[in-house]
Amino acid sequence: MKESVRYALRVTWARPEGRIGLTILAIIVVAALLLPPMLQDPRAQPDILNGSLRPPNASHLLGTDHLSRDVLSRVVHGARVSLAVAAGAVALSVTLGALIGLVAGYAGGWVDATAMRLVDGAMAVPRLFLLLLIAAVMDHIPLTLLILAIGCTGWFGTSRLVRAEVLRIRQLEFVRSAEALGARRRRIIFRHLLPNVLGPLAVATTLAVGDVILLEAGLSFLGLGVQPPTPSWGGMILDAKPDIISAPWTSLAPGLAIVLTVLSVNLVGEALRDALDPRES
Amino acid sequence: MRRALVVLGFSILTIAAPALAQSTSAGRGTVVIVTAREAMSPIPTLFGGDAANREVSDLMFLRLADLPEDLATTDEPRFVPRLAKSWRRIDPVTLAFELDPRAKWHDGAPVTAADVVFAIERARMEKLDGQLAGLVRRISSVTADGDRRVIFKFTAPYAEQFYDAVYHAPPLPAHLLARVSPDSVGASSFAANPVGNGPYRWKRRVSGQLIELSANDDFFLGKPGLSRVVFLIAGDTEARMNLLLGGEADAVDNIYQFANPERLGQNPRFRLYPMPSLMVGYMLFNQRDPADTTKPHPILGDPAVRRALALALDRETIVRSTYGPSSLVPAGPVSAVLATRLESPAPPRNDTTKAREILGSRGWTDHDRDGVLDKDGRPLHLTAIFPATSGARRKMALQAQEQLRRIGVELEIQPLDPPVYVPTRRTGKFDLDLAAVTQDPTPSGLSQSWSCAGIGGTNVAHYCNPQVDTLLARASRSPESARKLWRDAVVTIEGDAPAIFLYAPVFLYAVDARFEKVTLRPDSPWSEVWRWRVRPGQEASRDRE
Amino acid sequence: MSWAFRRMLQAFATFLVAVVLMFFLMRLAPGDPLSRLGDERPFSPAALATLRARYGLDQPLLTQFRAFVKPLARGDLGVSIQHPDRSVNNLIAQRLPATLLLGGTVLLINFTLGTWLGAWQAFRRGSKTDHLLTIFTLLLYATPSFWLGLSLVWLFGTQWHLLPVAFMHDPLLSPDASRLTRWTDLLRHLILPAATLSLVTIAATVRYQRAAMLDVLHLDFIRTARTKGLQERQVRWRHAWRNAIGAVLALFGLWLPLLVAGSVFVESVFAWPGLGTLAAEAIGTRDYPVIMGSTILVSGVVVLGSLLADLAHRWLDPRLREG
Repeated sequence: MKESVRYALRVTWARPEGRIGLTILAIIVVAALLLPPMLQDPRAQPDILNGSLRPPNASHLLGTDHLSRDVLSRVVHGARVSLAVAAGAVALSVTLGALIGLVAGYAGGWVDATAMRLVDGAMAVPRLFLLLLIAAVMDHIPLTLLILAIGCTGWFGTSRLVRAEVLRIRQLEFVRSAEALGARRRRIIFRHLLPNVLGPLAVATTLAVGDVILLEAGLSFLGLGVQPPTPSWGGMILDAKPDIISAPWTSLAPGLAIVLTVLSVNLVGEALRDALDPRES
Repeated sequence: MRRALVVLGFSILTIAAPALAQSTSAGRGTVVIVTAREAMSPIPTLFGGDAANREVSDLMFLRLADLPEDLATTDEPRFVPRLAKSWRRIDPVTLAFELDPRAKWHDGAPVTAADVVFAIERARMEKLDGQLAGLVRRISSVTADGDRRVIFKFTAPYAEQFYDAVYHAPPLPAHLLARVSPDSVGASSFAANPVGNGPYRWKRRVSGQLIELSANDDFFLGKPGLSRVVFLIAGDTEARMNLLLGGEADAVDNIYQFANPERLGQNPRFRLYPMPSLMVGYMLFNQRDPADTTKPHPILGDPAVRRALALALDRETIVRSTYGPSSLVPAGPVSAVLATRLESPAPPRNDTTKAREILGSRGWTDHDRDGVLDKDGRPLHLTAIFPATSGARRKMALQAQEQLRRIGVELEIQPLDPPVYVPTRRTGKFDLDLAAVTQDPTPSGLSQSWSCAGIGGTNVAHYCNPQVDTLLARASRSPESARKLWRDAVVTIEGDAPAIFLYAPVFLYAVDARFEKVTLRPDSPWSEVWRWRVRPGQEASRDRE
Repeated sequence: MSWAFRRMLQAFATFLVAVVLMFFLMRLAPGDPLSRLGDERPFSPAALATLRARYGLDQPLLTQFRAFVKPLARGDLGVSIQHPDRSVNNLIAQRLPATLLLGGTVLLINFTLGTWLGAWQAFRRGSKTDHLLTIFTLLLYATPSFWLGLSLVWLFGTQWHLLPVAFMHDPLLSPDASRLTRWTDLLRHLILPAATLSLVTIAATVRYQRAAMLDVLHLDFIRTARTKGLQERQVRWRHAWRNAIGAVLALFGLWLPLLVAGSVFVESVFAWPGLGTLAAEAIGTRDYPVIMGSTILVSGVVVLGSLLADLAHRWLDPRLREG
């Protein structure tokens, strides 16, 4: 496992897109981890009547928002939330997707048919609609539930991908021989099939992270995602929306944070895809 | 390739140039009012007293008389004649109105005494609108004496008889509606094409986009100065602001709905008109346990805790940052209009030290040092609900959350979709409710939400103080001392801290500077639009249509 | 033929699953569609009971489902709760043209500009322009549509006054304006929302087309064409492009949900009177019939879109047809 991570990093770094992506991502992660203790309290509203919507200055490097809160501090703290939600949700959706894809692909028959029809049905409803409805069902959403909701609506595509890969690999010699030797099903799934779908899965995972960050921002923008006082990027844009003209920094900062993060993750994903793609080598 | 670019560039230029005005000479002015919600129907009383409906209905349906400018509901002689030309008091429980013979429905039929009787009778039908029926409950009978004369009789002498007679239920065209059953008015052809008697008549509705009214040039009080009124509907706050700044709309009722109102204030295209509103907002404390409403609330049942929380909030800052410098912090449940009329006092200033002391004396201290006060192992954690659609309340909730955090109270804010918010509130399943209420112009309406009798109705927090009930009852009986008694009631309520009374906004209306003779009314802002004019020489292209 | 038939059956099953899923998920949500905010005078209990009975909200869930499905088979989606005087069919019919116009324009831009860019990029694989374009398209893809929309409104609408900031028509344009005026007006209103939505979605097309082209460029018949001495230009555009576009077509079904989701944000920023805002509003107000109506329509289009794309793909791609 460690081996393959190192390999993935190496091949990603070998491409210019990958290099740029990894660098930006590293900067964001390091900032999110190390900066917070040095910044002001992201919740503090020191002087709403006189200190709101101040442009960037020495004490507030990215200015202040409509409640006189420090924008820089909120962007950095928001990074923690956005990354945590993305990581959690993607881990969940990829695990679910991989498991269901593996089982459906390997079991075949009616299991496969049922699972894939359900997946088709769920995919025919736009994910945003599903999430809007789930948000309505839960009427207020703690962070963990948000992660669950985004995770549980994200595995459909992954499961199809994995299933397709499994169908392909199943026909290969080494799986056939393992089956002929009477290996148990679980062993075949986890020892033979899973390792071989890791490549495409890694690419899908990376790209999914970007999608989830955008989705979470969109939900927060609609007032349904991360709830205050926890700062989040989408929530910041929602708060800053009316000030986009008079105080552009309030929406520019979280907007750029989203763009850079999603961009970097997708660059890494694309580089990885290129690297694992036989055509390219 | 290059040629394609040139063509593309050219077509963008032609498209980007504003469409040329299609000028014809007919119009004498159009005002475009931008609004958040679409009126369901302009027919008064049939669809509830919703503010969006009233904006339209007040231009189409006149009352017998309008409230005086200061909305003094008890001041009989100062009411302004509308459909009624004059009135006369026959005895302490009888009023006679003389209709203006020039008043006509938009279909040409005269407005008659039967129309007045018909409207009041519909209003009294409990099953149609219980609350409206409650408002006119003290009218014992209405009778037509000929075509032009209406006699109102009341159950007892009281201060607001005149107001009850003219305000709640404007006359409806009996000749068109009498044969429609009360339940099916919504589906009738009248609902699709309502016929009124006011300065403007119904022109068209483009659902979700606009409602257009056109001038009733035969209006008996004078030909309207503007030939068109358009209510432009844009649910999104930013879209509303952009329509104003982009020149596509002329007027808006409250510039503080925009988080950065200076943009309109500093724009020379607009003039601002301050207008005290009938709205009052407060953070209501639930006095019952949300889990079991027969029990007192485990935290908020203690009046000292409620008072401490009220003291902890810097209401001044919250109000000024949300509703501008001229809005008031109300003492008790009074809008800016009522506060001025009752001359009610300003509430105490915030005092976090004292708030902490009070909480400490009631056993709330931070025993486990996690930053949140606790008592018997229970943290001082409260949840505040409010409708997710309200930007202003979100801004206030965020400030309250932070201010309370500093004294160790954890406030969770919970914006709810309106269909969840309303039943949650009604069934008492909340700790705090950030409520905004548009009050009737009279303090007698206070008895609905702040009396023991209101429990089970709009008094969702179970606040009950018999002393307040007595004061309100006495006020309604005695016109001379009504103001003092109402003020005493309001001050008593503030003292009991059933809520933190947060804001009594004075709205700033923005209206395009090309209009002159602009007058607005606090109870129905646009109802005087028919008196407006476009300054000669300053017509916009839409004014000529 | 049997393949096409099976594929159609499968599409129908998919559609049914989506309908059932939405219906029951929706009813799990708390909230009372009959309560309305801002009503100082709520409905009386008697009126409420009447209304509840009228919409069947007092019935058990399964009965409600049956009551919903029966008229659905006839294409009747019921009556809106928020707009009691309007049928859902009518509401949707009114909003559909706006969404089709916006979505269609965006699809058109994606198909033409997007596929062209993707192909162009594929021919230059590994070059500096390839890398730059990759980064640029991914940058667009990473931009939240609502943020981009707000920024464009600010720039073109309120700063430069070049383009209208909201709606689909100038609401005051007189109904008897000339056709040219009306079309120009529509076009001007379309520019900003269409640009926003195209910019944030075009990356997917470009990336897919690039990958598909790379696939095809390796194939034998392209090599054969090359060795036959066909001009490189001809090989690229006639053979390769035609074949790769099939792969992109297959993704048609995937784009539609993307467009719908994007249009929820874009429509709300530009007050564009389309289905996205209708559905989002309906969810916010728990207007069950409208939620069901709009999602049924969207799912139907998505399923149908991917079905057609599959059929077209099979027809276009010689490998699948002959194999």
